[in-house]
This record gives sequence, structure tokens and C-alpha cells, in this order.
Amino acid sequence: MNKNSNTYIIIYTVVMVVLVAVLLSVTALSLQPLQKENELGAKKTAILEAMGAQEADYASVVKAYAVDAEGNTIEGVTADDALQMLFGLKGAFDAGTYPVFENVENGYVVVPLTGKGLWDDIWGYIALDKDKNTIKGIVLDHAGETPGLGAEIKTDKFEGSFVGKTIYEGSDLVSIEIVKGGAPEGAPHAIDALSGATKTVQGVQAMLKTCLSYYDAFFKSKVAPAEEVETECNTENTESNE
Amino acid sequence: MSKNIEEKEPLFSAKNMASLTNPFNKNNPVLVQILGICSALAVTVQLKPAVVMALSVTVVTAFSNLIMSLMRNSIPARIRIIVQLVVIATLVILVDQFLKAFVYDVSVQLSVYVGLIITNCIIMGRVEAFALANKPWPSLLDGIGNGLGYGMILVIIGFVRELFGSGCLWGYKVIPEWCYEHGYVNNGLMLFPPMALILVGFIIWIQRSRNKDLQEK
Repeated sequence: MNKNSNTYIIIYTVVMVVLVAVLLSVTALSLQPLQKENELGAKKTAILEAMGAQEADYASVVKAYAVDAEGNTIEGVTADDALQMLFGLKGAFDAGTYPVFENVENGYVVVPLTGKGLWDDIWGYIALDKDKNTIKGIVLDHAGETPGLGAEIKTDKFEGSFVGKTIYEGSDLVSIEIVKGGAPEGAPHAIDALSGATKTVQGVQAMLKTCLSYYDAFFKSKVAPAEEVETECNTENTESNE
Repeated sequence: MSKNIEEKEPLFSAKNMASLTNPFNKNNPVLVQILGICSALAVTVQLKPAVVMALSVTVVTAFSNLIMSLMRNSIPARIRIIVQLVVIATLVILVDQFLKAFVYDVSVQLSVYVGLIITNCIIMGRVEAFALANKPWPSLLDGIGNGLGYGMILVIIGFVRELFGSGCLWGYKVIPEWCYEHGYVNNGLMLFPPMALILVGFIIWIQRSRNKDLQEK
């Protein structure tokens, strides 16, 4: 057959494309469980990192559950379900289910964050002390922010600047403000912005505001008994002031 | 690289061995053909991603050469380049999927660069220049040789950059603490891509001064 005839070329391409498609789909499907496992592992690591418990064993330290908009624990959602929600966090939030990861040893709670940066998705995990107010740690990540500018949100320096800040002013959820030009010294709800990364940082600020507001009722309802909170708060505050 | 070999030649004949070993020396894809520089800058901050990248590219060059050589008599000349792209892209996606499944942390580190193996000129260059005109076995050897020749440069650069840039090798601290106490500091420039380019320049310089026949008049 003439190798340069149109018929030959069309048949050739069709056969080639079908073969390649079959090969790729079979591989992708058969490797999917392993890949999902890896992604899950990365998410668990990020949650532990936010809590400042990198060395700990996820299964023995973290209690995962989900709450509704009123802050009540949703019955029937297993720890595994809560983890699975992280794979479609936007959808889970839209459905009114909000996953929470609680450290059973020190009572820190980690809630997941999802939002938009300048170019692509940004996401993260924020850990609050058991007063549900003081930030103990945050892990941020991004899909495609500019290296050296927006991508700096995942550096320890930027993430570290959140630690010790509080998200409530009285009973109002004020979240964290990221101030261009530098936050005033000692401001409880503000941190410094990153130069050259205005849009990404605004994305982080909006993400915090939106995602934390979903948990507003939960944060208020789950605060430990009054006296205990008082003392806890005070010790925490003095510590962070030091 | 003659096209018509009538009698059967031994598997490891001098000519076949030459297509395997030449890329390490006088025909190195990075140093002599100046191909694949882009990824040599991008993934060599640390040794580990450099090694994984080297192996990934070797797998892709080897198999794309082999497959294209097997297909060489059936490919319609008019869609030759498209067929090459489909084969190479398929192999790269396979590599990417395997990395995600078995070495997840490295695949996160390599991020987009795995996908960009498709655009690594070495691969298409070898397919066009060698595989389409040679039998499968020499083509496979040529692919492996070129992949490893490229990888060799990546590993050398990755070694130097990680050692002097962060004082580590393969993620482990190798420069002892007392050096830092006596005023040694890591070279921050090593962590930036321009330093990789300068290192490639040094290696090219060394290689050309040792091989007189590579020097342009």
C-alpha cells in the first residue's frame, strides 16, 4: 500500500491514537490507588505539620470529624470520610460539611483552607489552639504562583508570621489581615504582606476569611468551659507576648 | 551509521558500543550538541531530583528510539513528526504516572519538568537523527547512551550545586558543623539557575581543552 496515500495516513493515525489511548487509560487506572494513597499521605503530613507535630503518628494523634454550619458534629461521618473531603474541599464546603482535624493530645484543631491565588488554586491548613482563637501554625501551598513572588507564601518565614495571632476580636471573627507595607508592631490580627505578591497575598487573606467563617459557629460552640478557657488564654497570651 | 547492513553483526560490535558510549564523551548531548540545557538548569538544585530526571529521560530516550526504530518502515513521511510526538508524549505520561505512584515526593519536586521532558530536544533529536535510519538494537543503545550522557551532566551539576549551595548531598548534611563555626557559609548563588549555566560552561571548557578535535578553528 502506498505509504503516502491519505487512506493509509488516516488508518495509521486512528490505529495509533486508539492504541495509545488504551495504553494510557489502563496505566492511569491501575496506578490510581497508589497515587491516591500518596496524596493522602501528603495531606496527613501537612495536617501534622500545621499542628507542629511532624514526628507524630497521624492515626494515633489526629481525630478527624466533620461539623455543620451550626458547629454540630455530623453523625456518621468517619475519620476517613473527613479526610476524603479534602480531595474536593470546595464541594464539601458547598454541601455544608466542614472537616475538622483535632489533635487529641493538646486539643489543637486544624481546619483546611481553599481559595484562589493569582494564577491558580491555593490551599492550606491552619491550626488553632484549644481556645479556638490563637493560631498555632499554618501550612500554605499553591498550584502555580510565581516562583520568588507569590510562591513565597509557602516559606517558613511567611507561615511563621501567623503564629500567635488571634482571629477573634471579642466575639467577632476578624480573621487575619495581611498588610501591605507592614503590619503595626504587636497587632493581634495582622501580619506583613509579601512584596511583589499582592494578588496572591490578597487571595490568602480572602481564603482565610471565607474558610474560617464556615467554622465560626463551631469555634464558638466548642470552646472549653469558661474558667478553663480563661486560664488557658492567659497562659497562652503571656507566652506569646514573651 | 550506515543504513544498509546486510550480514548479521554481533550485538556488542564496536559500532554498537560506540553509539552507546559516544554520548559520554565526544558526542555528549549537553556539552557538544548543547541540547537539553533548560532542564539541566531547572532540576539540578539537589542531587535527588537530578538523578530521577536523568533516569526518566534515559527511559524516554531509550524507548522512544526503540519504538520509532521498530515503526520506521511503516511511518508515512508526511506525518512523521506527529507520530514522533505522540510516541514521546505517551512515554512521558507513563513516566509521570509511575513517578506519582512510586516516588511521590520527587514527582512533586520535579513538578512540571516531568511533563516538559516532551520538549527536551535530545529525545526528538535522537529519534530524527538516529532511530529513523537505524535498526532497533543500535537505536536502543543510542537512546540509553544519550539519556545517560545527559544524566551524567545533570548529576555532576546537581552534586556541585547541592554540596556548595546547601552543604548537603541527597538531602543529608555532609559539610560538618565545625566548618560553619569557623566561618564557612553556603554559596547562595549555587541555588540559582545562572550558576548551573556557569557550571555547564566550565564542564564544556574542560571537555574541549581535553579533546582538541572538538575545538572550532
